[in-house]
Amino acid sequence: MSRLGDIPIRIERPDFAAMAGTIGGGVTAILAEIAALLDRLAAGDEPQAIDLKSLPMNPGDREQLIEALGSGEVAITLYADGESTIRETGVHGVWWTEHRDGDGEVTAAFIEIARVPGILIVDSDELQRGAERLRSAIGATRSSE
Amino acid sequence: MPEYQARQTIGELLDRQGISRRAFIKYCTAMASLMALPPLAGRAMAEQLRAARRPSVIYLSFQECTGCLESLTRSFSPSIENMIFNVISLDYDDTLMAAAGHRAEAARDQAMKANYGKYLVVVDGSVPTADGGIYNCAAGRTAVDILTETAKGAAAIVCVGTCSSFGGIPFADPNPTGARPVSDLIGDKPIINVSGCPPIPEVITGTLLQFVTTGQVPDLDEHRRPKVFFGNTIHDRCYRRPFFDQGKFAKTFDDEGARNGWCLFELGCKGPTTYNACATTKWNGGTSFPIESGHPCLGCSEPGFWDKGSFYAALSTGTFGRAGNLTPRDAAKLGGAAAATGIAVAAGATALARHRRKVRMTDIQTADTQKEE
Repeated sequence: MSRLGDIPIRIERPDFAAMAGTIGGGVTAILAEIAALLDRLAAGDEPQAIDLKSLPMNPGDREQLIEALGSGEVAITLYADGESTIRETGVHGVWWTEHRDGDGEVTAAFIEIARVPGILIVDSDELQRGAERLRSAIGATRSSE
Repeated sequence: MPEYQARQTIGELLDRQGISRRAFIKYCTAMASLMALPPLAGRAMAEQLRAARRPSVIYLSFQECTGCLESLTRSFSPSIENMIFNVISLDYDDTLMAAAGHRAEAARDQAMKANYGKYLVVVDGSVPTADGGIYNCAAGRTAVDILTETAKGAAAIVCVGTCSSFGGIPFADPNPTGARPVSDLIGDKPIINVSGCPPIPEVITGTLLQFVTTGQVPDLDEHRRPKVFFGNTIHDRCYRRPFFDQGKFAKTFDDEGARNGWCLFELGCKGPTTYNACATTKWNGGTSFPIESGHPCLGCSEPGFWDKGSFYAALSTGTFGRAGNLTPRDAAKLGGAAAATGIAVAAGATALARHRRKVRMTDIQTADTQKEE
């Protein structure tokens, strides 16, 4: 057994069908906050995020939240010093992000309310460096001809 | 420090090492989460740090066991662990540096001259003052001399561990070496105490990162600890707290209560009087913390934790140590409160512990004055 996550645990899954409209208080509060942040984003505000690591949630709450938000159309894997997963939930503009380190441990987990997750956006320096790299590759090819 | 390193920004250094902007944002996002900042603040932090130049850091080791440095260098996975060393320029650390002898001391002198007034001093270990400070010498000089000289040009001092913060184990009764915390010896520099035996690695790196990002000392509590990490007691954030509130306690380490994961208060847990981030940040990359492993909190991030009596005596029994600042009447009162309501015990114990600390520091100062006279 290499990691704590390998130890099996039993999660009491709520019966969503039976408890329609009766989602737990903590999860309801998070959903309400997401809805408010979507309103603000639509009105032109900056993207916001809700930190899932600092929220006092038990595994059951998390399952309930995942279930309530559903699955969306986009799933992205980012390979940068460990694997990160960014997937759009069933609610457009609501992204579930988990950053992992090289050992696969989650170092940050949050819900981002944004048109596009900010970490994906390339900055101007990187664009310039990319252009320089391509020009130098072209130069090297020409000089070898 | 080579001149090219002094000139280059953190971003340039990261680029040279092949650490992408996104990888750095991930690191800063994780640190922002630890510091209770909004996750997206990690991006702003990353951009700011990438544009900044690396500050020079001089790491001084005095009366210590190297556990604090082990804690720092064993943090996270190897790639993340190295990240803090990309953000700072560690110009002197006699444990980690390849140089030894006069070459090592020359590195410290050079870093001090090149960055006078701007460098950060990290101190690990208490400073012995008895018998002219002879109990800790390096390069023929006492720890008091080295600390005093190095502190002169420092922008701030970060005390890593309970020994440099409060004296720690060397300071424990009868303190044969006259061990002192840094704050007893340096009075004219900002001092940040990152206590713990050892401190949580993420708390060390988070404190350094916060200072490098803002260039300012964070909000500190009465013991000069960053409030962001030391703002709550272990008890406040403990996942076993509901059992405390329900009066469900483990009485021994192998009884039904222990097996059920009930509160460890009666087994001596010092969580109610201990301020630290163990219950939230946890240890070993967020795996667990002592209480989660079934052991009471020792209170290692509090002043004088070694002298507060048995680690296994409940706070309500009043075993608060050699100084005897808690009178039998206080202890009885506290014990009575425990029977009535556990929450009151926690609050009372905290208040008494804080009062005790103040008394103790006053005692030390008075003793010093008498000695000088």
